[in-house]
Amino acid sequence: MKSYSTRAIALLGAALLAASAAACSAGSGTTSGSSPGGDQSLTVGLVAEPASLDFTTTDGAAIPQVLLGNVYNGLVKQDETGKIVPDLAKSWTVSPDRKTYTFTLVDNAKFTNGAAFTAADAVFSINRVKTAWTTSLKSAMDVVSAAKAVSPTELQVTLSAPSNGWLFRMTTRVGAMFSQTGIDKLATDPVGTGPYKFGSWKRGDSIVLQRNDGYWGTKPFFNQVTLKYFKDPTALNNALLTGTINVIGTVQAPEALTQFTSNSKYQVIEGTTNGEVVLSFNNSRPVFKDIRVRQAIRQAIDHKALLDTCFAGRGKLIGSMVPPTDPWYEDLTGVAPYDKAKATAALKAAGAAGATLRLRLPTLPYATSCGQVVKSQLEQVGLKVTIDQLEFPAAWLTTVFKNADYDMSIIAHVEPRDLGAVFNVKYYTRYDDPTLVSLLAAADSGDEAAQVDNMKKAARRISEQAAADWLFLLPNLVVADKNLTGLPTNAITESFDLSRLARS
Amino acid sequence: MRRWNPSLVVGLAIVGLIVVVALLSFVWTPYDATLVDPAVRLASPSWAHWFGTDKFGRDVLSQLMVGSRTTLFVGLVAVGVAAVIGVPVGVFAAMSPRWVSEVVMRGNDLLLAFPALLLAIMFGAVFGASTLTAMVAIGIATVPSFARVIRSGALQVMRTEYVLAARAAGRRPFPVALRHVLPNVTSLITVQASVSFAIAVLAEAALSFLGYGTPPPTPSWGRMLQESQEFLFSAPRLAVFPGVAIAVAVLGFNLLGDGLRDRFDPKLEDRR
Amino acid sequence: MILRLVERAAVLVISLAVASVLVFGFMAVLPGDPARVALGVNASDEAVAALRQQFGLDRPLTTQYFDWLGGLLHGDFGTSYVSKVAIGPQVADRFQVTLWLVVVGMVVALVLAAPAGTVMAARHRRLSGLALSALSQLGVAIPAFLAGILLIMVFAVKLGWLPANGWTPPASDPGMFLKQLILPALSLGLVQGAVLTRYVRSAVLDVLREDYLRTARAKGLRPFPALWRHGLRNAAVPVVTVLGLQLATLLIGAVVVERVFVIPGLGSLLLDGVSNRDLLLVQDVVMVLVVAVLVVNFLVDLLYVALDPRLRVAR
Repeated sequence: MKSYSTRAIALLGAALLAASAAACSAGSGTTSGSSPGGDQSLTVGLVAEPASLDFTTTDGAAIPQVLLGNVYNGLVKQDETGKIVPDLAKSWTVSPDRKTYTFTLVDNAKFTNGAAFTAADAVFSINRVKTAWTTSLKSAMDVVSAAKAVSPTELQVTLSAPSNGWLFRMTTRVGAMFSQTGIDKLATDPVGTGPYKFGSWKRGDSIVLQRNDGYWGTKPFFNQVTLKYFKDPTALNNALLTGTINVIGTVQAPEALTQFTSNSKYQVIEGTTNGEVVLSFNNSRPVFKDIRVRQAIRQAIDHKALLDTCFAGRGKLIGSMVPPTDPWYEDLTGVAPYDKAKATAALKAAGAAGATLRLRLPTLPYATSCGQVVKSQLEQVGLKVTIDQLEFPAAWLTTVFKNADYDMSIIAHVEPRDLGAVFNVKYYTRYDDPTLVSLLAAADSGDEAAQVDNMKKAARRISEQAAADWLFLLPNLVVADKNLTGLPTNAITESFDLSRLARS
Repeated sequence: MRRWNPSLVVGLAIVGLIVVVALLSFVWTPYDATLVDPAVRLASPSWAHWFGTDKFGRDVLSQLMVGSRTTLFVGLVAVGVAAVIGVPVGVFAAMSPRWVSEVVMRGNDLLLAFPALLLAIMFGAVFGASTLTAMVAIGIATVPSFARVIRSGALQVMRTEYVLAARAAGRRPFPVALRHVLPNVTSLITVQASVSFAIAVLAEAALSFLGYGTPPPTPSWGRMLQESQEFLFSAPRLAVFPGVAIAVAVLGFNLLGDGLRDRFDPKLEDRR
Repeated sequence: MILRLVERAAVLVISLAVASVLVFGFMAVLPGDPARVALGVNASDEAVAALRQQFGLDRPLTTQYFDWLGGLLHGDFGTSYVSKVAIGPQVADRFQVTLWLVVVGMVVALVLAAPAGTVMAARHRRLSGLALSALSQLGVAIPAFLAGILLIMVFAVKLGWLPANGWTPPASDPGMFLKQLILPALSLGLVQGAVLTRYVRSAVLDVLREDYLRTARAKGLRPFPALWRHGLRNAAVPVVTVLGLQLATLLIGAVVVERVFVIPGLGSLLLDGVSNRDLLLVQDVVMVLVVAVLVVNFLVDLLYVALDPRLRVAR
């Protein structure tokens, strides 16, 4: 089916937020009453500040991290187990041909500009993705042939072909609901229906969200949440140690975790994310056309030692592009076990012994670290690796991502369910595999069982074909004051859900 | 006239030590400075690893040794660039008619408004961050101070009788500059080079700290310091060693500069 | 004096004009299309073209230059391609932050350097002077960011006396503002102070050798009172020059300290702009920095004349 291949260019600017811990938007909140937290406020430390607040025209994971689920709602969202659950849509039905979705919407939701949320806004938001969005993510809506407001609370969406991917994408930023009268200042003053409303933004420092007293669901505990941005991981740690912030939303310096684990004032949460750290191969380069070379590289890397060295052993080893929170996860780490002798021999047989490979790294801490380990390990099996660093995002995006002028690179792909997007001939991996394309198409158009089955096959396919090497899965590492509750273990959505946080 | 003064002796000793270590690192280091060995990561100092190992299991002493090469290299190229441009500009300004000299020196002042850090960040944006862009940026930013010092030195030489005589005899300016002016400002050049060297070492450290300096895996003291940030609590020694190395190197070049100045210009003795 | 003022002002204006051409020209050769970077690599060519047109990037470079310059002269810094926000207020905001940091840092430096340098000069042959001298040498050799890291480790994390980082505008919470300012200002001030000490010392030494001071001392005044009565004004001249130069370097040099202490100053704005390829923002910030340096140098020149009566007639 076409949706995966066109969406192919799904977004990796997302990687901006490399180890972004995103909390998952789960069902009803743990708090009750109108304002349980009274005037209490919270400060969360994060690493990547958005360049703009408009994710319809600006790429990157930093914007939905703040806004999705907090300021904007979607029709549907993902709960912590990855299941698609109601948000602004109370319920929905799917026609037998699986092409028509009918959503029943909540009737009491209001935008922070005062306008009521109706099916007309939903139609407007869906159509606007196709017309006004400029980021590559917009292709997720290509499969929609019509959206219609049957009544103020009933929305009908018709697809041109059955697609499992579409409803899932509706849980991401693409599914965010905008007000027809509130889109003039998306970049600086977003208007949504969420539990928080946008307060202020001190550029280079912090974004403040205020509790939305007109929120249609359970009111959040905190009256005000400040998201404070830190370039330097050590400064972020110091800020928690000295009480400037209450939460480290995403630990970037895992080595320094010991100072928190040994301190009873803090809790450390460790779970999984969607961020696969990929050692990507440029499959269009002659040397990588030979599967023996690709497999040899995978076998030359001692993943356990690599994870210990460059991410303090935190994180999970994966053998393919699927995180354990996806329904079709299988442990594929055994597909290419570490075997130096075999790798050396395979490279010799392929005539690639002594070949020089250019490892072009983005200037992100984990990439710099892991790159040095990869270089050292590959040189032990007879390859020559030259490292050069490209400034992230601008230089790396242009050189590696857009022009595919590289042999190997390292980046975390943090988008949910991005297997088909990343391993695609149009993507920077230049991975051309008709078998994979047909597996993905079958997964998208089939029923749930067919989807799981075909996705499993697809994951195994890229692993066996060694389309890339998967170094590890970024951990969700959150450190917070001991008395904070509502922090999710796994970060599997694009948003950092603030609505469930509370202080006990 | 005191030929040797304490600053000169200590400065020479430190700089000499760095040079020896850098040269030694070409033929011998305890370990391969870039060899990653997870088995011994974050080892404390021991007989096997005198200064311990970093998070990649690389030997810190070996890295410091090879890092001294980076430091010297950056300093040499930066000072070289500054001298190659700054000295002729200074001499030219001194020998030119007043208004030409004014224009040159105003242009020189304008360059002062672009400090090394700013230039290096701008160069890094255009050409990509690398040791080369850092060196050239630091060098260009150092040109004005060279030009200024050399010009005032050259002006003094121009007033000496032999230069006046040579010019009165109709010698063309270029040979005069080459025969009389340049040799008489070499001491100034040496002093200025030593001081600029110290500044270059500091600038490289700051740039590497910001990620605009030497890229990995080439060992650099500034980047070692930056990488040690994660370990300030668990292994502060990782910050101490490169930190001390930077400070000692800067100290050495500053002292050398002071010592040379005193030696070349005895009038100034014990003044600075 | 008036003539000199006019001459210096003319030089300033010409320098500013040349600097603006340099800055603009440099930015024009930056690789990477700012419109494409702003939209993300996968934006369609039409969208990129539309943005280029919206921001006037499709016009000839000379038109763009004069437009930009004209805007600057009217205080209009343009709108960022990336964040779609007016740049002027941002730059003004960040500039204030950096200015606080740098000025307080310089005050710390001066407060340390003036007495220390004077003592070093007056007792330059004694142990106390030599000890101070060695200390200042050491201070010069320590990079400001290293000093910052050490200060954080000791005073914020170990002792818990002060916040490790952050910035609060003075108007919103003066107490917090001061607390957060102390460590960064100290790390700048200690290192700059060490540099300055050496200049104060040599300036005071020069003055001590002057005839009028020798006379004063011959009349029985002890060294410090003699200096106080006769020498300080003269010693101040070279020190003020150095202060001006240092202020200029510090404006950009503070970026490292801003990074260590997470201070949203002009330097961090510049670094962000560079990595986001927010071309116009970078161009504006660099220009502001250059203007600031040139203006400071100009003022130092004026002050120089005011402080040293001899210079009023000379030249």
